[in-house]
Amino acid sequence: MEQVMANGVYLGSQYAMIALGLTLIFALMNVLNFAHGQMYVIGGFVTYTFYGQFGLPFVLALLMSCVTLAILGALIEKFLFGPVIRRSSREESTMLLAAGLAFLLDAMILLVFGEKQRGVPKIVDGVLNWDFRIIMPYDRILICFLAMVSIAAFIAFMQFSKTGRALRALAQDRDAAQLMGVNVNRYSMIGFALGAMLAGLVGGLLVTITGVNLGMGGPTSIKAFMMVMIGGAGVISGAILGGFILGMLEAVGLAVLSQYGDITYLVIFVALMIFLAIRPQGLMGKPWG
Amino acid sequence: MLLKFEDVKLYYDRVFALRGVTLDLAEGETVALIGANGAGKSSILRAITGLSKIESGSISFRGERIDGRDPASIVGMGIAMVPEGRRVFPYMSVKDNLMMGAFTRSGRADIRRSLDGVLERFPRLQERLRQSAGTLSGGEQQMLVIGRALMARPKLLLLDEPSLGIAPKLVQDIARSIVRINRDDGVSVLLVEQNSRMALSISHRAYAITTGNVVISGESRKLLNDSRIKAAYLGGAV
Ligand SMILES: Nc1ncnc2c1ncn2[C@@H]1O[C@H](COP(=O)(O)OP(=O)(O)O)[C@@H](O)[C@H]1O
Ligand SMILES: [Mg+2]
Repeated sequence: MEQVMANGVYLGSQYAMIALGLTLIFALMNVLNFAHGQMYVIGGFVTYTFYGQFGLPFVLALLMSCVTLAILGALIEKFLFGPVIRRSSREESTMLLAAGLAFLLDAMILLVFGEKQRGVPKIVDGVLNWDFRIIMPYDRILICFLAMVSIAAFIAFMQFSKTGRALRALAQDRDAAQLMGVNVNRYSMIGFALGAMLAGLVGGLLVTITGVNLGMGGPTSIKAFMMVMIGGAGVISGAILGGFILGMLEAVGLAVLSQYGDITYLVIFVALMIFLAIRPQGLMGKPWG
Repeated sequence: MLLKFEDVKLYYDRVFALRGVTLDLAEGETVALIGANGAGKSSILRAITGLSKIESGSISFRGERIDGRDPASIVGMGIAMVPEGRRVFPYMSVKDNLMMGAFTRSGRADIRRSLDGVLERFPRLQERLRQSAGTLSGGEQQMLVIGRALMARPKLLLLDEPSLGIAPKLVQDIARSIVRINRDDGVSVLLVEQNSRMALSISHRAYAITTGNVVISGESRKLLNDSRIKAAYLGGAV
């Protein structure tokens, strides 16, 4: 039982960060970023390159993942989503763009990093064994801790910094935010960069546990969307809740259902469909938009 | 002139909203725009702040052309707008809403002083500082959006129908606050209202707008007794 909970919290902390980035981008720009999983994969490969290949300190490599994705996110907003939103008021325009972007990033990952599964040396050795009730490698605990710290830092940033306040204002009322003097173009770019950065940061964290490969992008996006469906789109609390719930479900599923075969996600999907039919706005979502 | 609005044409998807509107506002004045729903009053305010792009004509503020600039830079010049419909940031605290009003400003102590000033003017906000703005009553939200605009320390305040959907007793409070903002703080005010009687009684001058044109303009005191205004905007003899 404790073991399942611990696994759930560990998974949830990673998932929550992925969902946070996705939901931030959605809240700010009404863009469903189908390329979020690919951004995560790029983050993983960047940390792999700097930590695994060049032997730089892990923290430095993580920082490189953040910087790379922030720059990539800013460029993508400035040259792709920004112009498309200004030219077209139809929502499918940005959805199609996001889907196309996912293909493009996949192709670029293949070209730059190749198709092989990549792993990195362990960041810390050893395993925590608490009375055989919880057994967890130290590196997982450290990664989980780093994820939690990042989530807390992100929330504090959104809540208390002037930039965070402007981003929230922009998400809640675009016109009113402009009337406060918030430059929509600049802050959309900052928001997109931040969302992409979160994806890259999780990628960098998790490469130390699961490694990284080209094929992880799509499935990661799917999980990110599931979390947002559970928690509600565009709401920070919803993303965090959705992340931890999915993490917990997955941990419980693996413990309980694995004896019946690989059906955990099938069961989760069915439950999610029923849940969405009853509560389409998710747990924390606002049905009135 | 603080604000000059010359022969401005504006349309949305080929539907004309302004067909060549000319108006002005001197420093220290309160000017009212009255007219029925759909006349183009909000479009005038949206044109000034750059939220809607104008087709032709010119808008200048303190002698500087501002049409074509983006809203953020226009707001930064000292124009604050309270849009129609009490547009608070609903999931933010009252305090964060007010702080957003000071977004273009710097200097903590200075902003703090403005905050105290606004809270003194609207004591009900003080009691609700930590509450989400979305949970306030309509009247309180109206006070909040006006207070938020004042946090920018504007030279010109644009108000779009502050009395709309507010309890009659509060309409008077709000009218009184507008007078004080103009008189005591020296903020020039451009007031859009469908409540023409209230607007004319607290403004120096007024323009009556119909389908994208200025049809009548003059001193508010005189317009209150103008037979055309009485018939069209004041509901006869009441
Ligand atoms: N976003 C918009 N899209 C299309 N038409 C609009 C839009 N906003 C206003 N209009 C039209 O422009 C005209 C003027 O509207 P508006 O300036 O809002 O008038 P008022 O504030 O006096 O009620 C109306 O005919 C209205 O239907
Ligand atoms: Mg209007």
